[in-house]
Amino acid sequence: MIKTNKRMILPIKLLFIAVIQVLLTALITYVLVTNEYRELSSQSLDTLEHFLVEQKKQELKNYTALAVLAVDHLYQTSELDNDVAKKLVTNILDKMTYNGEDGYFFVYDDKGNAISHPKQPFRIGKNWWELEDGKGNKIIQILISNAKAGGDFYHYPWTKPSNKKISEKIGYSVYLEKWKWMIGTGVYLDNVNLQLSQLQFEIDEHINKTKNIILILALSSIFVIFLFGVTVNLRQKKQTDEKITELGQRIVNVQEDENRHIARELHDGIIQILVSIKFSLEATKMHLSKAVQEVPKPLQHAEDNLVIAIDEIRRISHHMHPQILDELGLSAAIDTLSADFSDRIGVSIKVFKPRARNLLPDFINTTLYRIVQESLINIEKHAKAEHVEISLSFDKNWLTLIITDDGKGFDINSVSEINDCGIGLRNLAERVEYHLGEFSVVSSSKGTTITAKIPKSSFENYFNQTRVKNNDNNGDIEFGQ
Amino acid sequence: MSNLKELPVSVQIVDDHPMVQGGLKACLSFYDDIIIVGSTDDGSDALNKAIELKPDVILMDISMPTMNGIDATEIITEQLPETKVLILSMHSNPEFVKSAIQAGAVGYLLKDTTSEEIYYAIKAVANGKTHFSSSIAKLLIDNPVNTNESEKLTTREQVVLSYLAKGKTSKEIAKILNISFRTVEAHRRNMKTKLGIHSLAKLISYAVKHGIIKN
Repeated sequence: MIKTNKRMILPIKLLFIAVIQVLLTALITYVLVTNEYRELSSQSLDTLEHFLVEQKKQELKNYTALAVLAVDHLYQTSELDNDVAKKLVTNILDKMTYNGEDGYFFVYDDKGNAISHPKQPFRIGKNWWELEDGKGNKIIQILISNAKAGGDFYHYPWTKPSNKKISEKIGYSVYLEKWKWMIGTGVYLDNVNLQLSQLQFEIDEHINKTKNIILILALSSIFVIFLFGVTVNLRQKKQTDEKITELGQRIVNVQEDENRHIARELHDGIIQILVSIKFSLEATKMHLSKAVQEVPKPLQHAEDNLVIAIDEIRRISHHMHPQILDELGLSAAIDTLSADFSDRIGVSIKVFKPRARNLLPDFINTTLYRIVQESLINIEKHAKAEHVEISLSFDKNWLTLIITDDGKGFDINSVSEINDCGIGLRNLAERVEYHLGEFSVVSSSKGTTITAKIPKSSFENYFNQTRVKNNDNNGDIEFGQ
Repeated sequence: MSNLKELPVSVQIVDDHPMVQGGLKACLSFYDDIIIVGSTDDGSDALNKAIELKPDVILMDISMPTMNGIDATEIITEQLPETKVLILSMHSNPEFVKSAIQAGAVGYLLKDTTSEEIYYAIKAVANGKTHFSSSIAKLLIDNPVNTNESEKLTTREQVVLSYLAKGKTSKEIAKILNISFRTVEAHRRNMKTKLGIHSLAKLISYAVKHGIIKN
């Protein structure tokens, strides 16, 4: 478990670092881009505002110049206090409107008395010298002083006629020296502000859009990283698993080979030596009896013990690897297993198998033998079966081994875990899969069926090889060992 | 027959282990009515030696390097029907005993039996009887050897089958294997009985299906 965790941690750490990197990059990009935008926009807004206001001022100057020009002939030709001329001039000015309702001219004398105001006629005839705007500035006084100074601009809040709301207004005023009149006009800046805020809104929109794009990019990057990480991880895990299984099978194979080797050494080496010693002892005995001497008891003891030793080693050898597999093949070995089983448990076993011998290579033989062995152990321990059937058969492409019993079944997992004297069904399944075969265990309360299928392609080459080998060695013998 | 009884029994030993050969020879040399005429250490050499020596009895081990004793027994009894094969093996498994009997052995001894029993067994089989170690005899009673059709093909039969599948006639096979035409015919008959098959074509398709030959 610990090992697996360690293997898993590294990629996840890397993923984590990558994700943080992406998040940081996204954040920094966002901040930088937004700041840049804001700065740019505030600059351009300032520039734009300045430009618009300047434009308005120029307009005001022009309008005022036009207005003064329009009344100039009356003003110039009139005498100082010609009320008729003044009346005519105010009439003309009252009618001179621009920008719809909002552009108009107003006239005050140098004392602050309103002489003409087309939009607020209530002011006419009254003195507004002390009139203050919202900021406490005396508007009329400033406008008059601006006019006297040769014309200038003044910003102040004033009711806009078209919507009756207080708006920022630029006023421009000029002075008619002869009549001591201040003629003024003004434009409202709410349009400018609206334009500016529209622009500001658009820029904010743009920033938002950028933010969203960065967010989407970051999220999709993180997603891709995760996907990549998970894929790599899964693939690594799969590869590791495969390697572990393969390694496990190689260990099993090496173990089986080693067992076979040692069993053979014991059986064909040590036991044979012991047998020869036994014959020597017998020869000694016969020598003695020929010389009419009594056989000493220790000699008899030695011989008896030797027989026990031989028997014991034979048992060990058989346990390590049943030599019958190598000598007579799988069918005979299965027969022996089932005969032993029947003798021990008293349960009959039917065996169906091909009537040919030595057809399979050692590794297949051993694997199938272990499957039968393990299955019979399970049946003996758990199944309480009355009938067992083993069938080994060839069809076109598969070699199939089926072991069925009519016992009470067992929990597959518990059997492969608990069974400490057996190899475990799971290991057997891995072995079969190692030979590219299929392994299945179906267990119910009515019995258990274990099926192992091995494709002929897994051992077909073996036929050709052994045949060639045996043909070389023996000429006419096609079935070795 | 009465004349033969006077002559000592000639015995050939086939065992891959020189020490066992030596021990056996040492023990059997005490009996005057037995002569060890030769020994070989592998099944494949045993036949040539047997053809040369024509022993009365061959003491045959089973586990040997290139050809095991059972396959060797089958070939020897096929070619030298007069020679009796007595198996002397470590294997006490009934399958080995069955296979040996199928191959034509007339006796089966375990190597841990006494040399005295080996002597009696040699004498018995030389006189046309069979002999099995007592433990083996018990095995045979528990697991009777069936000679019916449920038995497996022997190695020799499979060899004959593989030649049949290659299109050889019984005559040709007899020549290749250096056995009589009648023996080959007998193998064919036995195979058909064992497999419950009645035509040559089916026999060959069985061989192909079970990988005895490759199609």
